[in-house]
Amino acid sequence: MSKEPVAVTGIGQTRHVAARRDVSIAGLVREAARRALDDAELTWSDIDAVVIGKAPDFFEGVMMPELYLADALGAVGKPMLRVHTAGSVGGSTALVAANLVAARVHGTVLTLAYEKQSESNAMWGLSLPIPFQQPLLAGAGGFFAPHVRAYVRRSGAPDTIGSLVAYKDRRNALKNPYAHLHEHDITLEKVQSSPMLWDPIRYSETCPSSDGACAMVLTDRAGAARSPRPPAWLLGGAMRSEPTLFAGKDFVSPQAGKDCAADVYRQAGIADPRRDIDAVEMYVPFSWYEPMWLENLGFAEEGEGWKLTESGVTELDGDLPVNMSGGVLSTNPIGASGMIRFAEAALQVRGQAGEHQVEGARRVLGHAYGGGSQFFSMWLVGDRPPTS
Amino acid sequence: MPEVLKAPLVVEFPFTRSLGPVQSAFLTGLRERVVLGVRTTDGRTLVPPVEYDPVTAQEIRDLVEVAPTGTVTTWAWNHAPRRGQPLATPFAWVLVRLDGADTALLHALDAPGPDAVHTGMRVRIRWAGDRTGAITDIDCFEPYDGEPEQPGDHTGEFDNPLTGIVAPARLDYTYAPGRAQSGYIDALSGRRTVGERCPSCRKVYVPPRGACPTCGVATSEQVEVGPRGTVTTFCVVNIKAKNLDIEVPYVYAHIALDGADLALHGRIGGIACDQVRMGLRVEPVWTEGARYPDHYRPTGEADADYDTYKELL
Repeated sequence: MSKEPVAVTGIGQTRHVAARRDVSIAGLVREAARRALDDAELTWSDIDAVVIGKAPDFFEGVMMPELYLADALGAVGKPMLRVHTAGSVGGSTALVAANLVAARVHGTVLTLAYEKQSESNAMWGLSLPIPFQQPLLAGAGGFFAPHVRAYVRRSGAPDTIGSLVAYKDRRNALKNPYAHLHEHDITLEKVQSSPMLWDPIRYSETCPSSDGACAMVLTDRAGAARSPRPPAWLLGGAMRSEPTLFAGKDFVSPQAGKDCAADVYRQAGIADPRRDIDAVEMYVPFSWYEPMWLENLGFAEEGEGWKLTESGVTELDGDLPVNMSGGVLSTNPIGASGMIRFAEAALQVRGQAGEHQVEGARRVLGHAYGGGSQFFSMWLVGDRPPTS
Repeated sequence: MPEVLKAPLVVEFPFTRSLGPVQSAFLTGLRERVVLGVRTTDGRTLVPPVEYDPVTAQEIRDLVEVAPTGTVTTWAWNHAPRRGQPLATPFAWVLVRLDGADTALLHALDAPGPDAVHTGMRVRIRWAGDRTGAITDIDCFEPYDGEPEQPGDHTGEFDNPLTGIVAPARLDYTYAPGRAQSGYIDALSGRRTVGERCPSCRKVYVPPRGACPTCGVATSEQVEVGPRGTVTTFCVVNIKAKNLDIEVPYVYAHIALDGADLALHGRIGGIACDQVRMGLRVEPVWTEGARYPDHYRPTGEADADYDTYKELL
């Protein structure tokens, strides 16, 4: 028996900001969930199950927050699941929800991811003072910066590429009312003269810390037929993991990322991603990860990804737009960031991305990664249902 | 084989919480000696109040005052109170349905012993003298044999409402790094770096974890590596991290010690930051009494060829 086709018929986000002091965590997730239901023109009683994700409990210090959020998400009397895969969690949460529909376990599932960074301490949550170990020497940026240097060495990319990505993503964010950073006076010169925090990563090439939530309504064929607006259809979705550290790990282009993309393309019948995919929302917390992931995801040969960035291919009006929403570089409520990528991909194929809409986007990839480049989750969505 | 190490690990942090409208009113009320519940769509009163109706999922904001007296619906005796619990002497954990409420609130009951506590007993709030807008503004409950007190008609509008609280969290662990890491740490005390070789893929892991993450088999063969190594990649850290006593800028590097099959992380010194490069040959610099090398410095050897370390970035 073939799988049930899965459609995205509702999408909701909060307006992401540095601190939402006016709402509790429940109030924050409720806002995104309500907007997703409104978009799908459904009520709480139309939802069969809720699948929620966020980054580590240590971030906000609320243990198993899904239990207390059941009221806010209308989950009382229904199955509620929590997913956790570090920074990729927003993506894997959506995939777990999609699998419940594809397997015909549930007809309509609400999926949601969030982070309230202003009430959390990611640095503390990730670097506990473990006895006998040397303290972490450099923080998150310092963890990723040596990998960026390794990429530059391997690819021979000019050192300006990172700034081009940041300048593009921050300009794209100006067209997205939900984005956190709206830097109206951004210039390439400002990016290039911003302080070098973890050489080779500059201040303007790093993501902000945001409060936000993102929700989607996923449903089956019957649900899609009742949808008031065009649905996005899931054409392929996959997750892969690998250890954080092992002999032979390639931090520049992790094998798990390559395998995950290959699985998605196989499911969706994509022979040449560069030709067959119209746009990408990928998880780029530090600007240099755009060319790195372009190679990892098969949009460019190894060592060639930066050329797509440099030649303007990844601009909003380019041939393969990347991070039309402004991306993680403009908005980063960690647990939600992966789901925002997936949701933005769906908005594009539904033709509902507003000012940052890519004309004629029919197949768009959403991508997330997390941990020390150890968890990957991706989905490809299209404007038409899968053919097989 | 050296003894497996153990040490206490205390994780402690003051979390901030934005309260939202309902918890804001509830906690501000406690500060003012007022207990508020919330009315659900079907007319029940929930204490403590919630923001969303558990049955209909509707947003609920209809706040109503309940009495400071109530009835114990169930309880458990706490023989040995721990740090941070409401009372320092043995007490009963109780669920109390306050007069006017349909649900029960968890708190402590001050009673001389378990024989003095029973389900159905009448109790009253004992307010704390110094109240800040927290659940601890209720010091505890105490037995009460008077008439039920009448609730006021407060609706949750206060001057100076509390909008956020600080919730301290603390976890106490005993941390044991295990056999492999204990051996590694023991060798470090003799200024030697010892890894373990995987019997299947033959890769040498430093620090060792006692198992190969790729092959999934146990490792036990000890292999001394270094002391010299190669900088495979690095960054220059220009911002000072909290709680870390290192002057910026400094170089944070991946260093593949000779004989190891993956790089470990360390600081490079004895050379200007802008002179550090991939392939630089380095050696550890130890300071008296430290468990780990303080940093690594150039050996003066010619740089390693890229092909010799390109798999070790």
